[in-house]
Amino acid sequence: MVMILKKSKNGFWTLLSLITYKKKDKPEEFYIPEVNEGESRQVSQEKNNDKSTPSTNEKQNTQKDNKGLKKPIPVSELKKEKTESGVKKDENCISCSIDENIDFINRMFNAPVNKDIVVREFNIAGHYKAFITYLSGMADKITISNFILKPLLAKKSVEDAEEDCKLDYILKNVIETHQAKKITSPNEVIYEILNGNTCIYADGCNFYISAETVGFDKRGVDKPQTEGIVSGSQEGFNETLRTNITLVRKIIRNNNLVTEFLTVGERNKNLCSILYIKGLANPAVVQEVKRRINGIKTDFMLGDGMMEQFIEDNTFSIVPTILSTERPDRTASHIMEGRVAILVDGAPFAKIVPVTSHSLFHTPEETYLRWQYGTFIRLIRFLAVALAALLPGLYIGLVGYHREMIPTDLMIAIVKAKENVPFPTLLEILLMEVSFELIREAGIRIPGIIGNTIGIIGALILGQAAVQANIVSPVLIIIIAVTGLGSFAIPNYNLAFGVRIVRFLFILAAAALGYYGITLAFIAIAALILSMKSFGVPFVSHLGPQVRQSHDAILRWPVWKQEYRPDPVNPLDVRRQPKISRKWTAKDPKTGIDRERNNDDEGR
Amino acid sequence: MMKEDNFGTKEAVSLATLAIITKVFYTSPFVIVNSLGTAAWYGTLVSCIVSLLVFLLLYQLMKRFPGDDLQAVFMKVLGKVLGRIVTVLFSVYLLYYAGMNLREFLEIIKAYILPYTPPSYIMITFLSVVALFAFLGLEVLARFSYLGLWIVLITMGLLLTFGSTYYNANYIKPYLGYGIDKTIIYGVLRSAAYQEFILLAFIMGSLQGLKNFKRAGIGSILLSGGVISISLLLYLMMFQYTVGSENLSGLFQISRSIYLSRFFQRVEAIFLFIWVISSVVTVAIAFYISISIYCKALNIGDHRPLILPFSFLTFLVAFFPKNLTETVEFHMLFIRQYSSFVVYGIPVLVLVLSLILGRKRVESRNEKV
Repeated sequence: MVMILKKSKNGFWTLLSLITYKKKDKPEEFYIPEVNEGESRQVSQEKNNDKSTPSTNEKQNTQKDNKGLKKPIPVSELKKEKTESGVKKDENCISCSIDENIDFINRMFNAPVNKDIVVREFNIAGHYKAFITYLSGMADKITISNFILKPLLAKKSVEDAEEDCKLDYILKNVIETHQAKKITSPNEVIYEILNGNTCIYADGCNFYISAETVGFDKRGVDKPQTEGIVSGSQEGFNETLRTNITLVRKIIRNNNLVTEFLTVGERNKNLCSILYIKGLANPAVVQEVKRRINGIKTDFMLGDGMMEQFIEDNTFSIVPTILSTERPDRTASHIMEGRVAILVDGAPFAKIVPVTSHSLFHTPEETYLRWQYGTFIRLIRFLAVALAALLPGLYIGLVGYHREMIPTDLMIAIVKAKENVPFPTLLEILLMEVSFELIREAGIRIPGIIGNTIGIIGALILGQAAVQANIVSPVLIIIIAVTGLGSFAIPNYNLAFGVRIVRFLFILAAAALGYYGITLAFIAIAALILSMKSFGVPFVSHLGPQVRQSHDAILRWPVWKQEYRPDPVNPLDVRRQPKISRKWTAKDPKTGIDRERNNDDEGR
Repeated sequence: MMKEDNFGTKEAVSLATLAIITKVFYTSPFVIVNSLGTAAWYGTLVSCIVSLLVFLLLYQLMKRFPGDDLQAVFMKVLGKVLGRIVTVLFSVYLLYYAGMNLREFLEIIKAYILPYTPPSYIMITFLSVVALFAFLGLEVLARFSYLGLWIVLITMGLLLTFGSTYYNANYIKPYLGYGIDKTIIYGVLRSAAYQEFILLAFIMGSLQGLKNFKRAGIGSILLSGGVISISLLLYLMMFQYTVGSENLSGLFQISRSIYLSRFFQRVEAIFLFIWVISSVVTVAIAFYISISIYCKALNIGDHRPLILPFSFLTFLVAFFPKNLTETVEFHMLFIRQYSSFVVYGIPVLVLVLSLILGRKRVESRNEKV
């Protein structure tokens, strides 16, 4: 009976639970706790300043009273802290105890939580306590095994050593890697490990040995992605700094080609290098480049694009004042003209400074071609920029304000084509321009072959459909297509962006005030560009201040006529070649007798 | 005090030349042709020669104070108070000059290109670009004028060449116009049409020496004289003096008349570019120097905060005339004909005073006068 009652009771509650509201148990939601920014900054600063003495920091924190005032630390405690820690607080030098050094490495790299850091302890020649440390994945394990560990573990490796600290002897006689050096600063130890090198320490020494064991995966040298040419070199930079420097050095076989390394980014400590030819590049430019790079205070430096934004003169300009190239040959030719190249680890681009406006219109193609062809394609490029920036604006101005200019036949054709289109010309243009920009962006983002296909197919289908639906006129499709072609013909990727933005400005100016508006916009843009400088060099330098006329600015003269380096850069050696560079023209081909000296030099 | 950047002789020549020749695009040709008839084209050369003589006098004055701007010379010769008053007077005149040039430009644009656009709309956009130049500084303006002069001269050359189908050499007969005496008197009176060279004296500090000042002044006056004279000659050859004295803008009328083929006609809108470029440079240089000398006279360190108020004042000045007739027959007549008594008279008077008082710059340790 009791069971029945119980059953019926349970059944009742079960039935009741089906028809009544039951409050659900609310799971605890995750949220990011608020951090007191002031305190966290202070803590992180203290950590950076003195990472080896956490106990000190804690003590200091506890010593702070409620008002945030610091109490003086007793001298006895300071002494104690120095001896306790692996790295002395003020002297910033390496301890002589192996345990303290292992502790130091573990603490710096957050071991054992962080699994990448490897600390391998062993006895050198079976006697002396030592360890090696490296980052797994960054260092080449075969090099470590064969050229560091094997020699060190060999019985006879340090038998002849007489010093207390065996590392000096090991550095000179045992380590078999190509590069190895002595390191006396704890920060340098960390930096070397982060770069993929292996640090070796032996008990009783107050320094490490860093052996070159860099061995992470990298992309091979490939064709340039954005600066393809028909004739000439097909090599492009990749993401490895060393490889990129080698590619340049392979072209400039000059002992005065200097590579200086600088570190940028407080947290990621990215390596960047500046390349220049000593005795050719103006020292003031080199100094300024170093000053600007050293003056960057940021935690993270991803690549050359970020670097450019940190060091350029006009950050609000839509035209770049630093040349970006992924071609080693182009970089080399600029270095040979007295400019400075900046390479950043992890980016397949070099930045060239200082540059002038016409450099943005150049490609290596014309250097490889004969001057007639080079000049022709360069003029085509100037036309391309003009079309890409101005054509839609000019069309709007023409049909909106200056219809008298259009010949009657053409006017009839335009009117007929536009007869069924309900939108005003400005809206038509904006519609098509935005669609075009969307297709372009989609084409870049969609991977592989589909990306290229969608660009063409999308444009064709969209254009055709828009005309058939009477949304835009066929004339306008031609205008947009020619504008697009013009913008694709711009050789500099950054400049092409600038032109795309300026095009919209001209469209709006033309819609508002016709050709008067376009002219005002042109004047304003020209004034802004004229006011720009690239590392102290006026960006449009051929419009003054007065400089030596360049034979490779807008028109490309024959290569034997290009006797001087660009004047605005102020190189230390202005002459590239003698007045008569083709010496063979002054000699008789058969007899080798000199011709008369008063011959006209022209044409040699 | 304000720091003005340096530029070369070519830029200075371009700056002054562009400012002088701008008037040939507007009402100036018909005013001269109306007064001198067929002698207009060489009547302007008389003005050019008179201006050259005045420039040489100005050069003598500047030579006595090497390295000083004209406003500094005023201070040193006339004393600080009177010098400041004269400088501010010039500043006001230049503001008036800028405003009136803007108004003349507006009238032409309204008449030929944008008849339905509100005048204030045209003027505000124009003044925005002028203010931008004033903000960016004299060096940018000078460098732009170098670019602009090439564009203007080449386009003018094309324009006058395309119009050659209508030229008739007989239209410039009778060669002596209304009489040689009238031509010379009017030419002397009209010398104020070349007054813009005076602006170079206000920017002496940027010209890097008297030698460049002399070259820039003489070069700009001669180049402008040549350009204006050729333009007037071809204008007369196209329209003859009777019709020529009725066209509001001579060169614009030439551009409108161009007929090379059925396809290439009525191309005046293309030439609008040079109209705007030269007008912007002219107004911008007058506007900039107006602010600059005002700041120097009143010891104001930075000219940039004054750009907006001066823009507003220029905008106001441009609205002074009631209509085109008043603009041309009163204001432009004063600027291009009678302002010479002020613009040329004051520097010449200062030269005479400096000679009488024996004041000149003494090169000493403290650069005292």
